[in-house]
Formats: sequence, C-alpha cells, structure tokens
Amino acid sequence: MRERKSVKFNLQKQEHQNGHLSPFKVAKLFDPDATWDKDQLGDVLHWIRQSLALVCGLLWGAIPLVGGIWFILFFLLSSGIIYAYYALVLKIDEEDFGGHGALLQEGLFASISLFLLTWILVYSLGHF
Amino acid sequence: MSSTLVSNMKYSDSLTVVGISICTAIVCEAISWLLIYRTSSYKSLKSTIDKASKKLETMKTTDPNTATTIKKSKTKKIDRVESSLKESSRDLSMFKFKSGGVVALVLFMVFGLLNSLFEGKAVAKIPFVPIKLVQKMSHRGLSGDDMTDCSMAFLYFLCSISIRTNLQKFLGFSPPRGAAGAGLFPMPDPKSN
Repeated sequence: MRERKSVKFNLQKQEHQNGHLSPFKVAKLFDPDATWDKDQLGDVLHWIRQSLALVCGLLWGAIPLVGGIWFILFFLLSSGIIYAYYALVLKIDEEDFGGHGALLQEGLFASISLFLLTWILVYSLGHF
Repeated sequence: MSSTLVSNMKYSDSLTVVGISICTAIVCEAISWLLIYRTSSYKSLKSTIDKASKKLETMKTTDPNTATTIKKSKTKKIDRVESSLKESSRDLSMFKFKSGGVVALVLFMVFGLLNSLFEGKAVAKIPFVPIKLVQKMSHRGLSGDDMTDCSMAFLYFLCSISIRTNLQKFLGFSPPRGAAGAGLFPMPDPKSN
C-alpha cells in the first residue's frame, strides 16, 4: 500500500514536471538557448500548425483563392514555417527529436483537416 | 437580424453540421473520460509507456566511446524495453477498445441523424475539384456532375478529424507519443471511436 502511494506521488510529480501544470514562458518560444522536452516541442509545433491552418483557411476563403494549387501552397507554406521555426529560430538538433520527419509531421493531418474545413466554410458562407 | 442573415446563406446547413460535430466531440470526450481516461488502469499504462519510450530514447543515443562488448548488452536491453513498450501499447489499445464501444455508438447515431437531415443535399462548396478518390466521399449521395458540391459526409469527416484531434490535444487525452500506431498521420484516438 505504501509502495503504491509513493509510486502514485512520483507519477503526479512527473506529470507536474512534464509541463502540463508548470508555467510556460512565452519567451522560451523564441529562445535558441532554451532546452526542450520532446513532448513540449511536439505540442508547440502542433499548435503552430493549427494556427497556420486557421489563418490560411480564413484568408484563402475570404479572398477567395480557388483551385487545388492553393492547397499545395498551404502545405508547403506551413511545413516551411515549421521547419524555419525549429531549425532557424530554436536552432535545435532534429536528431534529438526523431529527425525532420517526426517534427514536420506533428499535427500535420489535423492541420490539413482544419485548413480544409475553414477554407470550405468561409468560401461557402462568404461567396454564395 | 443575424438569424435572417444566416438563413439567407445558401450553405447555412454547413453551420448546422459543424455545430453538431462540436457537440458530438464534447460528448464523446466526456464519455471517454468517464470510461477510460479517469481510470487508474489507463493512467498507469500511459505512464508505463511514457517511461519506457523515454528510456528507449536515452538507450538508443549512440556513444562513440562505448566498447563493442558493452554495445551488445545494450542491444539486448533495448530489445527488452522495446518489447515491453509494445506489450504496454497493446494492453492500452485493448483497454480502450473495450470501453470505446459506447463512443462508437454515439458517433454512429449522430452520423445517421445527419444523413437523414442532409441526404442528397450539398451543404457547402469546395473551392477546388478534389481528386477522384476524395470525390467518392465529397460527392457522396449528391446528384449532378459538379464535383465542387460538398456532401455532409465529407464536411462531417473534416469536422471530426480537426475538432476531435484538437480537443483531445487540448484536454491532454492524446495517446502517448511512444505508443505503437502513433504514425505519420495521428488521427483522433481511434480506440475512442
């Protein structure tokens, strides 16, 4: 029973240290000297992708931009921004985080869906 | 005035689809939390997977100064941790699968409801012509040759993926990164479906 309690305490302590409850400083997002946990970096890249998807979907739908080429452009643009962020701004070694593939695919599918959803909705509601 | 504006829009039904998808996502995550995420079995399995995958990462880091004999024993340890990780991932999947039936039922019923409401009706306009494979879903049940007409099924699919994945991420219910099956395109936790 005591062992279970101490394991439970250690699990809670680890959860706290994993970043779900600890304060996250905005300055860290632009600090090339900051150290990153794999989960933390993955989460940041995920949410950056979702934000890009939302912004691009709203813009593409409002103008409107029509044609499959704009979908490809979004994909290239969002991947380029993510790459530039972790390679040039954060200056991290991708080998420590599973390589370029692992970092570039964080939140990719959800962002594509969110982009398409926003683009379609804004286009349909704003221009018909 | 705003309701008049919305009803005058040709594709105002798309808002209904999105609204129902959001509500469904919230309900499904609430059910998942009740049946899966708050249980001690799930928490301990997730913790085991997290620890094992972190340990595996540390062990796989190569040290050029390490002697060959030490590397061989390290390989055996890596294999042991990997099989332990696979086993925990399998247990996690099985555990979620058993409890995910209720969520699957809710999703099935909601899809049936939306289908009865919007069958044969274009709920939105796609700003490009989708590829043939996607057209099977995007033009499902619609008449005519205009492939930019969007069916409820496709819009619901997009809503489900984007809303549920981000909701799970926001609430911290995403599957652990070390779990098997978290591949190139991580979907909303499939065992919760």
